[in-house]
Amino acid sequence: MAVIFHMDLDAFFISVERILNPQLQGKPVIVGGDPHGRGVVAACSYEARAFGIHSAMPIRQAYKLCPQGIYLHGHMEEYSRFSRLVAEIVRKYAPVVEQASIDEFYMDLTGCVKNGRDCMDLASRLQKEIGKHLLLPCSIGIASNKTLAKIASDFKKPRGITYILPGKEREFLAPLPVGIIPGIGKVSEEQLKKRGIDRIRDIQNIPADYYTSTFGKTGLDFWKKANGEGSTFISVHGEQKSISRETTFDDFILEPEVLKNVLLKLTGKVCQTLREQGVKASTVHLKLRYSDFQTLTRAKTIVPTDDDSDVYNTVCSLLDKAFTRRVSIRLIGVSLTNFTQSADQLLLFDSRYQKKKDMLKAINNIRGKYGYSKISYGAG
Amino acid sequence: MKFSINSTSLEKLLSKVIPAIPPRTPMPVIENFLFQIQENLLTVTGTDLDMFITCTMSIDADGEFESIIPARLFYDLVRSIPDSIINFEVTGNGSLNMRTDFGSYQIGYADSSQFPQVPAITYTKQVTIIGSVLKNAIDLTSFAVSKEPMRPAMTGILFDFTDEGLKFVATDGHRLVRFIYKPLTFEEADQIVVPIKAVDVLLKFAGDSPVSISYTNSNILFRFGEITMISSLINQKYPAYNSVIPLENDNLLTLDKKPLIGAVKRMLLFDSSNFPKVKIGLSENMVEISSEDIDKGSRGTETLQCDYTGVPMEIAFNTHFLYDILSHMEQEKLVFRFESPSRASLIEGAEAAEDREILMLLMPVRLNV
Repeated sequence: MAVIFHMDLDAFFISVERILNPQLQGKPVIVGGDPHGRGVVAACSYEARAFGIHSAMPIRQAYKLCPQGIYLHGHMEEYSRFSRLVAEIVRKYAPVVEQASIDEFYMDLTGCVKNGRDCMDLASRLQKEIGKHLLLPCSIGIASNKTLAKIASDFKKPRGITYILPGKEREFLAPLPVGIIPGIGKVSEEQLKKRGIDRIRDIQNIPADYYTSTFGKTGLDFWKKANGEGSTFISVHGEQKSISRETTFDDFILEPEVLKNVLLKLTGKVCQTLREQGVKASTVHLKLRYSDFQTLTRAKTIVPTDDDSDVYNTVCSLLDKAFTRRVSIRLIGVSLTNFTQSADQLLLFDSRYQKKKDMLKAINNIRGKYGYSKISYGAG
Repeated sequence: MKFSINSTSLEKLLSKVIPAIPPRTPMPVIENFLFQIQENLLTVTGTDLDMFITCTMSIDADGEFESIIPARLFYDLVRSIPDSIINFEVTGNGSLNMRTDFGSYQIGYADSSQFPQVPAITYTKQVTIIGSVLKNAIDLTSFAVSKEPMRPAMTGILFDFTDEGLKFVATDGHRLVRFIYKPLTFEEADQIVVPIKAVDVLLKFAGDSPVSISYTNSNILFRFGEITMISSLINQKYPAYNSVIPLENDNLLTLDKKPLIGAVKRMLLFDSSNFPKVKIGLSENMVEISSEDIDKGSRGTETLQCDYTGVPMEIAFNTHFLYDILSHMEQEKLVFRFESPSRASLIEGAEAAEDREILMLLMPVRLNV
């Protein structure tokens, strides 16, 4: 039987903010930007959650619920730094680690622990070390697969450790609401409720066929998860599948020139990350959300590149094709996928190309040393 | 008006024109063949506006006819009819009736006035070359043509008319092939870049008989057998290829092609990345060829007998590129000329042919970065 740990940093962004500014302790804190703007809540403290605020909620709505809250723009670079420090500690405890997101880690400890007591000991030591060295609270779930471990870590928060005993998975899940299963979102939850399915027990009591015929493949997935099945595959390589940046506008934008300007900035950032990781991307995606929430994505595959101008030109041509309605834009984003290691194939002509490569390298170095905004392209 | 044609010979004729028909076009009229019969001569023309292909054959007809007919349908139909006589009849109600041993078919035709005119150009320069030589030149160079539209000049083959001979050059920026046909020399130097699409047609249909080439600065006309092909040229300056061909590469590796190509082919199995690398270790009279996949922990190494005179070095190439080059070398014994692991390497046949010269050039992949 596999032993999988899932560690989730509790209100991670808020915890980091509180390290940076201890006066925020015990107050309702919301990260997400201007409370009168159009952003969404990226994270909120447990005190803010008491007001009914949750992440991904439009920030204006949050402001209505809790006008006395402290609204912050957030320090993304600090979050990444802390996340790396956490990863370092986690790697000391487990041989196989997958970082699922900035604040979530899966660990495979199969064969490293003898019994449940070992598991609890290890989890508590890990929790203490992260709490002591980095002042970050975290919750840990232990179970026989990833899905269960995630549900377990969510079960008791903050600072909880939950261990689902092997063989007792179904019993553990039975009384929980269906919405707790990763993959069941608001819409699916609503649909299940309409059919009188409220608790995971209800899913367990009906044969899988029912879900396959009503919800298709995802239905079968629900059923499997509800019955305690899940993957134990930890992807160690941490292979990144995409690099993306997007932005939501405070004022809706209609002018293509302004959009292109924003794209230039977003492109700069994704390409910077790309070069830092020493890879090239061959597929460029554009994401557009109109003010009426119609969202579309367009993609184009090009010759692998890490050059801003290649990506920018591609994404602009995608924008020209995709932005067809006379409706203003609420959100725009660029993402890159389909990575290949930068092979250093030398070129025959084009000393220009070599110069450009050197230039990009220099830009990366400057940004690495003095910050991203110290050097940037002019549009044109 | 009636006429009859053997299905096989008609298919043969149409197959030469069909490459000009674009698969998708916003201009429906060019999805048709221009079909003309005049004085017992059938002329079929197809175009994608960049290229016009015209092909003729003699037939028995009792009148004249000019119209456009749907190219794909007509070609596919004729192609599927086994070797037999097709009897055509033009009834005047807009359909071409075809009768075969199997049944009868009607194909609608339309007025030809909308069909693009074959450009009437006065060609100022003219040269004739043996078909087999031209095919050989194209066959050996076209694989290196760039597929990237970013640099249009490199998406075609350069015809370089010089006093040393007629040179055919193709490159994609990573490799370069130069084919010189020495018997044809030109006092007045000239360069034209022929699009790969036109070149492909030549490769497919040119025979051993002479091909006449006429050209201006913007168009080229090829005449071979019963085919006339006009193509627009790529109106871009070709990169200065002469300046990148190194002269002082003096580390010489001489070896047999067959064992080398086998080794490289096997090395391709060991690097499944998008940019597979093969490493070549050179030391006195020994060459070690290796490739590995670090992620998967697999590795292949082979050692080949050879003649090597030069400094020991390790150089790496894109495996696909090297394989392409080797499979296009005609001679059994090859000479590699290296300078350094970061400079262009040259590959030639060990024995020089009298009338032609083939040089391939490959840029290495940087090691350990």
